[in-house]
Amino acid sequence: MEQTVIKTVNLSKRYSGLWSKTTVDAVKNLSLEVNKGEIFGFLGPNGAGKTTTIKILLGIIYPTQGEAYVLGTPAGDPKTHFKLSYLPENPYFYDYMTGEEILSFYAQLFGIGEPERSKRIKELLGRVGLSRAASQPIRTYSKGMQQRIGLAQCLLNDPELLILDEPTAGLDPIAHIDIRDMILDLRDKGKTLFVCSHQLSDVEAVCDRVAILKNGEMARLGKLDELLAGGTVEMIAERVENGILDQLKALGGQAHLHEGKLFVQQPDDDSIGAVIDLVRKNGGRIISVLPQRRSLEDLFVETIQGGKSA
Amino acid sequence: MNATLAIARATFGEAIRKRVLLIILLVALLILLVTPAFEVLAVREQKTILTSFGLGIIQLAGALIAIILCINMIPQEIERRTIYTILSKPVLRHHFVLGKFLGAMQTLAFAFLLMGVAFMLVMYLTLREIDPKVVKGLIMFFFQSSLLAGVTLFFSTFASPLVNFFLSGGTFLVGNILSNFLNTIEKNPQVGSMTRIPVQILVLLMPNFANFNVQNPIINPEQQLTDETAYLVQTVAYGGVYICLLLVAAVLIFNQREM
Repeated sequence: MEQTVIKTVNLSKRYSGLWSKTTVDAVKNLSLEVNKGEIFGFLGPNGAGKTTTIKILLGIIYPTQGEAYVLGTPAGDPKTHFKLSYLPENPYFYDYMTGEEILSFYAQLFGIGEPERSKRIKELLGRVGLSRAASQPIRTYSKGMQQRIGLAQCLLNDPELLILDEPTAGLDPIAHIDIRDMILDLRDKGKTLFVCSHQLSDVEAVCDRVAILKNGEMARLGKLDELLAGGTVEMIAERVENGILDQLKALGGQAHLHEGKLFVQQPDDDSIGAVIDLVRKNGGRIISVLPQRRSLEDLFVETIQGGKSA
Repeated sequence: MNATLAIARATFGEAIRKRVLLIILLVALLILLVTPAFEVLAVREQKTILTSFGLGIIQLAGALIAIILCINMIPQEIERRTIYTILSKPVLRHHFVLGKFLGAMQTLAFAFLLMGVAFMLVMYLTLREIDPKVVKGLIMFFFQSSLLAGVTLFFSTFASPLVNFFLSGGTFLVGNILSNFLNTIEKNPQVGSMTRIPVQILVLLMPNFANFNVQNPIINPEQQLTDETAYLVQTVAYGGVYICLLLVAAVLIFNQREM
């Protein structure tokens, strides 16, 4: 049985103005479960309720309704914080401190004493590629270096759960790939990662499951493979004559001949069997049949603009 | 406790790099260095003028540092999102508030040490003596500024920096004059209980900053101390208890605050 690391049950958060009667429902009846050892992508457009949910999970704000559990205990329990880490979007660190000092500061918040603290800091600086910049003040760090030091502070306590908000935002391609590889490496080490990102290509590359929020509500939730399946199916065949095209189009897809080859695109895999039968019956030879996976971007746009619910 | 001390050290490290605080400190130090020159403007004894003026500058600089340091203490941490990485660690909110206050006290201690040394140096070079009352005055003003830091930190748990500036500044001003005002109206038989009782309640609730002005005969001309040590200890204890109450109230508000 899979162990649940994060669980929310009908979680809602409503912001009310102090003087005005205006209310904003940032999160509405959100129920989700994140399992141990997976990379969970938490997606949605700006203002969808992602950061609000994260803040509830961390105990920084309190839900209006519903329940949230992290590592089996109610969200916000400081004891749980020994086993989790959080990297906020565009993190800011006390910039007069050096990389080494900021890690030492965060290690002290975990109560990690010497000599363990120095040992762990040295190891982590090496792991995130900042050993040579360890004595430099953070104000001299590039955005990529700041993101790396942010990730290093997340790893100080060897957490079971990492909550990363936009970990690759604004990074150059090399830093981007480095952070992405680190995320995969952490998953391989058995960590659970809850990743909030607008970089859909990254999410598609690393996440096992995703949830898409829209206006504070769950719009999609599931395994990435399952959510992205059900796209078109492409078939290529040869030795086919022109006369077959109309019969193929009647099966609901698109078909054309080019340099003696037949290209067929069916909207789903249900009708591809009939297409194959028809081609074979007419003496054609099948070269390939390829199901075309939708991209996460397609799914995201369809979900947000199409209004489909889970 | 580790977390509280780490937050205090980080607060101090950041505070001593704040330009505005350094400018206040620098201006105060410069004025202290030229204090002997002001004796030509006064007819009173040189020592009295030097002491009153020097300690007055230190008191003012201490109050400004306390307010400017603490008005941004919590709002800035929220705005920069540093508070999220801190509170996502096993840090309770009261650790954070206490750490911030201890960091403010450390900064004030540093500022008072610098100003005190500069002032005593000027005093020694001018008068060839150092009046022990100056040391007592410095200590009392340090505690006065710490109390003001507590007031400002309390307001910073719910007020914006601008509002906090006026709230804290107003509290400091009122807290400096209210007890003298009460003394005045109590001696006046024409003042009825409808006026006296609200002032008495206010005196009870508001922090009494005037108690810390013991060294200054200009500010407290009628204060006759029979046992100076007992008075100083009582005043510091009053400040300590008041700061504790402020911190408890700050934590209670901050625990409910959503960021």
